[in-house]
Amino acid sequence: MSVTIATVNYTREDQRRGEVPYGSPVYNTIMGFLIREARLLDHREIKAWGELLAEDLEYKAPVRITRRVQQFDQEFGTMGHFDEDHNSMMLRITRLLTTTNAWSEDPASRVRRFISNVSIWETDAPDEYEVSSYLLLTRNRAEAKDYKQLSAERNDRLRMTKDGFKLARRSILLDQVVLGMPNFAIFL
Amino acid sequence: MRLNSRKEYANEAISQFIDIENREVSVAALHDAELYELELERIFAKAWLMIGHETEIPNVGDYVVRLMGEDQVIVARAADGQVHVSLNVCPHRAMHVCLADSGNARVHKCIYHGWAFRPDGSFIGAPIEREQMHGNIKTKDQLGLKKARVQLYGGLVFATWNHDGPSLDDWFGDMKFYYDMLFCRTDNGLEVLGPPQRLTIDANWKTAGEQSACDGFHTLTLHGSVIDIGAMGGESDTEHESAPAMYGINLSGNGHSLRCIAADTSWALAHGKGDLTPEQRLEAFPPPGITPELLPEVKRNMSAEQLHVLAKAPPVVGGMFPNMNILFIYSPLRDGTLGSALVLHSIMPKGPDHFEWTTYYFAEKGTPEHIKVMMRASATLGTGTSGIIEQDDSDTWPHMTESAKGVIGRTETLKYQAILGENRPSDWPNKAKVYEGFGKDDAQWEWWLAYHKLMTADA
Repeated sequence: MSVTIATVNYTREDQRRGEVPYGSPVYNTIMGFLIREARLLDHREIKAWGELLAEDLEYKAPVRITRRVQQFDQEFGTMGHFDEDHNSMMLRITRLLTTTNAWSEDPASRVRRFISNVSIWETDAPDEYEVSSYLLLTRNRAEAKDYKQLSAERNDRLRMTKDGFKLARRSILLDQVVLGMPNFAIFL
Repeated sequence: MRLNSRKEYANEAISQFIDIENREVSVAALHDAELYELELERIFAKAWLMIGHETEIPNVGDYVVRLMGEDQVIVARAADGQVHVSLNVCPHRAMHVCLADSGNARVHKCIYHGWAFRPDGSFIGAPIEREQMHGNIKTKDQLGLKKARVQLYGGLVFATWNHDGPSLDDWFGDMKFYYDMLFCRTDNGLEVLGPPQRLTIDANWKTAGEQSACDGFHTLTLHGSVIDIGAMGGESDTEHESAPAMYGINLSGNGHSLRCIAADTSWALAHGKGDLTPEQRLEAFPPPGITPELLPEVKRNMSAEQLHVLAKAPPVVGGMFPNMNILFIYSPLRDGTLGSALVLHSIMPKGPDHFEWTTYYFAEKGTPEHIKVMMRASATLGTGTSGIIEQDDSDTWPHMTESAKGVIGRTETLKYQAILGENRPSDWPNKAKVYEGFGKDDAQWEWWLAYHKLMTADA
């Protein structure tokens, strides 16, 4: 296939082992992490959110491509809307928090992140979990009467540390090929 | 086909939108629906438009679907190995023939009635051959997909519906001399780093179009946050210290433009002061996108005049009329070294109040793989959807468009009255219009003049 199609499988089913039962202590703890994370971002507690990111973070939102169903496994490109590591996320956060002229979020959007359909699997690494969740995000800005919306499936790698869970990897699989919002000045 | 139905409207209205003498453009031009329809006919159906890169479709049958104005086209590599651009509209009943964004197909078969076409657009036939379901009024030769005129340049796919218009070389004019320094400088050329980002911005396409023509001035305020955190290549934390990069050489021709930043300014921002000769500096600090290993190729492929420009002040940002934005910039890589980001945007209109912003990232093919990966990440951090530079632009253009909806707002004007004037340095090539100094409105105004010329040209 051409150079533009990712060979990476962003859902990483091959790394999933036993599924963690719904309602179990581990499931509830991770669900709590996802809810807290969304709450921090929605309330612009970006610094506190940044502290949940692991040092070896990989944070990507690959470009999606409309394909014939025979090529359904080749929907995601090597390019992304995000292509981040820990340092670049910290730079983004620093810009938002320490400058007075990050105009794309000043005045800030009103954003709500609705997280659902959470599935969790154990992995070969003790204390690390593969977590799949659905994201529905609404974004309203200034006096707009309508919302910019976004839906996605997120496939995460969460790691339990002495400071609680950290996000080590997030692959955001967007449902839009042509985004309806003008930028990602927000995190997903 | 009637392309000139709005002719009378045009020639009167356009002169009202653009005040040549005072270098002002009516804000109404950012929202007017009639004007927009004319732009589709007179600009987007006439101009050479960049719609992709040949490395996206390396194999016979590979295709991508792209936009030319609001028209979808199939960009495909046919059995002859050449790139063909065909309207994605079945000549039978107007159904889209290709329904995917990209793929590989030796035959494009319309799902409605099964009319089939080759990647070069030619008509193969309709099902039940003996019944001759395409009729007997038109021959098969007359029933192919409508073909655009195609020209590759540095691997970039340019297409136009203007079959009798200027060649791409003539379209570029003197600016080709400078574009060659970005797109035709190495033996193997550029390649895309993946399929493009696409997003919709709720703004008139001209807001982004005219900005692409070397609006350097907005960097100080709109992109102030990027300067403040030192992510624009310097340690600067005040406007004054970042100001040197505001001085440079702007180039303009036929509405196209490039902005050249003095290499000693970039060098000083990256490495502190030094007293290298231009030739030494070119060795130590090649232009954006060129690794030291590729420099010998650049020296071989460029003329002495072009090498002089690259050593003195390489082009780094700019545009191509009507709807391209170019950034070939130095940019920090995640391993801590100063690398680069090679970025092209196209601005495709989607109605008077919307456009599609498409972003391509590139690297020279001869770049080591691990550096390509870092260049892609660096380009993503700075430009495109989440780019810390460009997310502020995408926030501004909708406001300008909104302003044009007010009956009073639309009586305001966009002003291009800060003029440097042509002042070519004695050692600079005598090619295109040259403006040296603090970047002003000259090149952007030339963009509007090119717009005016095309909009009023006899169709």
